[in-house]
Amino acid sequence: MSRGGSGYDRHITIFSPEGRLFQVEYAFKAVKTAGVTSIAVRGKDSVVFVTQKKVQDKLIDPSSVTRLFKITKYVGMLVTGLPADTRAIVQQARQQAADFRFKFGYEIPVDYLAKVLADKAQVYTQHAYMRPLGVVSMLIGIDEERGPQLFKVDPAGYYVGYKATAVGVKETEAHNFLEKKLKATPGLSYDEAVITAIGALQSVLSEEFKAADLEVGVVCDGPEGGDRAFRVLSTEDVDHFLTIISERD
Amino acid sequence: MAESQYSFSLTTFSPSGKLVQIEYALNAVAAGATSLGISAADGVVIATEKKLPSALVDETTVQKIMTITPSIGVVYSGMGPDFRVLVRRARKTAQTYYQSYKEHIPVAQLVRETAAVMQEFTQTGGVRPFGVSLMMAGYDDNGPQLYQIDPSGSYFAWKASAIGKNMTNAKAFLEKRYSDEVGIEDAVHTALLTLKEGFEGQLSGANIEVGVVGPNRSFKVLTEAEVNDYLQEVE
Repeated sequence: MSRGGSGYDRHITIFSPEGRLFQVEYAFKAVKTAGVTSIAVRGKDSVVFVTQKKVQDKLIDPSSVTRLFKITKYVGMLVTGLPADTRAIVQQARQQAADFRFKFGYEIPVDYLAKVLADKAQVYTQHAYMRPLGVVSMLIGIDEERGPQLFKVDPAGYYVGYKATAVGVKETEAHNFLEKKLKATPGLSYDEAVITAIGALQSVLSEEFKAADLEVGVVCDGPEGGDRAFRVLSTEDVDHFLTIISERD
Repeated sequence: MAESQYSFSLTTFSPSGKLVQIEYALNAVAAGATSLGISAADGVVIATEKKLPSALVDETTVQKIMTITPSIGVVYSGMGPDFRVLVRRARKTAQTYYQSYKEHIPVAQLVRETAAVMQEFTQTGGVRPFGVSLMMAGYDDNGPQLYQIDPSGSYFAWKASAIGKNMTNAKAFLEKRYSDEVGIEDAVHTALLTLKEGFEGQLSGANIEVGVVGPNRSFKVLTEAEVNDYLQEVE
């Protein structure tokens, strides 16, 4: 028998002969079908993420298209991948965060929420009756004890904290860009973090953006912070940063 | 166990009598980062490579060695997400035991229960086996013990063993160096030397994790500084 597998290893999450899970690997590919790239950067007192806003049709109301979601007042989530799966995972995240607040009386820490979502994702990789979700989620927040936190959760159920990361079509190029940038200047300020994130996106996509093409979400400690709340930047704020970037070049 | 629409098992016998899904799971384990354990006369040490996929990862959020009870720790090779599920189950088992008997669960019993969970997933409908092998280390009334549990749910007590990518070379190395009288300090040194054999690059406290339990029955994951101290003694 040249091929040891039962033939179903590509259809449901069982092991292939080499010990791989094809359905999980295919889920990763599905993330790229969204056709966008997202980037997140952690500074010394802030975390920011940015993604392309691609609206397929001119007739679609652009204000209803978003991949940035407020999970709690202090935790924001950027989801890249299939739109329907995005809604599913955002709903799970909001439910978990609300349950936690109700049960324990304090806001859910970002790393714990990431763990919960990752554990749910792992269940889909082990039980044949549900497929993995075709999304990668980035979670940001300022933790009371540990400061700014950035976590990424993927379809394999893997989650880990990052200093900076990228998801989507150009994630490899973006990772290289971010590695070099952070090696040169660790400990970014809030403004520098936003500029790095947007700058990275512009660099790997070789595009000049307008404010309407981007969605930017931030959490920030300190005077500009606004109480560490998660907020989506307005078009004016994004324009402000884009101007700084274009004046630098 | 979760509800599933599958009433039949996905792990079935091949014509030659093998359970191929389990063999494939072992391949997944063999592709994982190397982990090893050594049982000494007065304690047990487990260690693993902490290979991070990128320099952008915040290594303080990554912990591969987990404590199940104050006296028992566990490390894995293979799929991280599957490991987390088993850790959660093991901790629940340990707590349930403590609630009934007000004593910490003996190592052998915890190993047996965890192995039973892994076996369940090779027989239940609609699930796949776990893609991890576990190395469980603990100290109880029977002294220091080290167990290895495989995806099939079979387990053995070992004097020293290794799992993951470099396991054949590591086990050969351990066989040469092991002796029954070795003490815990020597065991840590041997563990570090074994990891060094298969490691690409420089070993440091930041890219390996070491856990130790001694006669004080307190399982501790060594800090980066402590690991670096041991590494200097080994150089």
